[in-house]
Amino acid sequence: MHSFNRLKNRLIARLITRFPRLARRFINSYRPWESEGQIPWTEPRKPLRDCRLALVTTAGVHHANQPAFDMQDPDGDPSWRELDGATIRHDFRITHDYYDHTDAEKDLNIVLPLDRLQEFIDEGVLGSLNRRHFGFMGHITGRHIPALIEFSAREIADRLRSDAVDLVLLTPA
Amino acid sequence: MGLIQREIERAGIPTIGVTIVRDYTARVRPPRSVFLKWPFGHPLGEPGNVLQQRAVLFEAFRALYAIAQPGTIVDLPFRWRRENYGDYRPPSPQELAPRKNQTGGS
Repeated sequence: MHSFNRLKNRLIARLITRFPRLARRFINSYRPWESEGQIPWTEPRKPLRDCRLALVTTAGVHHANQPAFDMQDPDGDPSWRELDGATIRHDFRITHDYYDHTDAEKDLNIVLPLDRLQEFIDEGVLGSLNRRHFGFMGHITGRHIPALIEFSAREIADRLRSDAVDLVLLTPA
Repeated sequence: MGLIQREIERAGIPTIGVTIVRDYTARVRPPRSVFLKWPFGHPLGEPGNVLQQRAVLFEAFRALYAIAQPGTIVDLPFRWRRENYGDYRPPSPQELAPRKNQTGGS
């Protein structure tokens, strides 16, 4: 816990230096990153068979024609890629140096289970899949954490809301 | 991943996360998680193992509706390859719907 607090302190120090306008918001509103403060909470309101579901994965999945995630930056890449549910199975790439994605390339379902979820829809277990999903690269640290929270995560949350998504399943790598 | 999950939930959409790094999830504290002590890069299991992948998804959805306490991490019992996923029994439709016995009102 001590080293985690050190990390937090260094992070906040970096943040204030780099993003002075964000700093106050971050410190005031995002203290719960650690084990304090309230955890966001929204009760599921519909049965699964009526839900529209979207996937968010941090396994580094993107379309072949999209820019790869930046692997040069030791703090990671906090940007996101929109994944087209209709085509991603057939033209995906995985850019992520921090895990072995040989198996995920053999069967994308182990990180992005679109085929399994389509079977659930066919069986009446799940309502539907959203037309788009979102890909991140995991392993984001240091100065990119505030960018991830303040920008990327909220940008995709806005899109998921505008798509009237009822439920989001998140998968790591 | 938990940081993204928190922002989606904060925006008013319920979320369930699969995690394979329990300590990190316990620190980030996303609203709901299922944990598997499995290799990196395999949150839903092995390539081509349809029954295994389905079992993880069913348990994630069960946890979505069962978890009442924010920050709960459900430890799934699956032992990677040493498991006969053919014996797995999925949740009933009632378990994949909002709980009836919630305390309502304010």
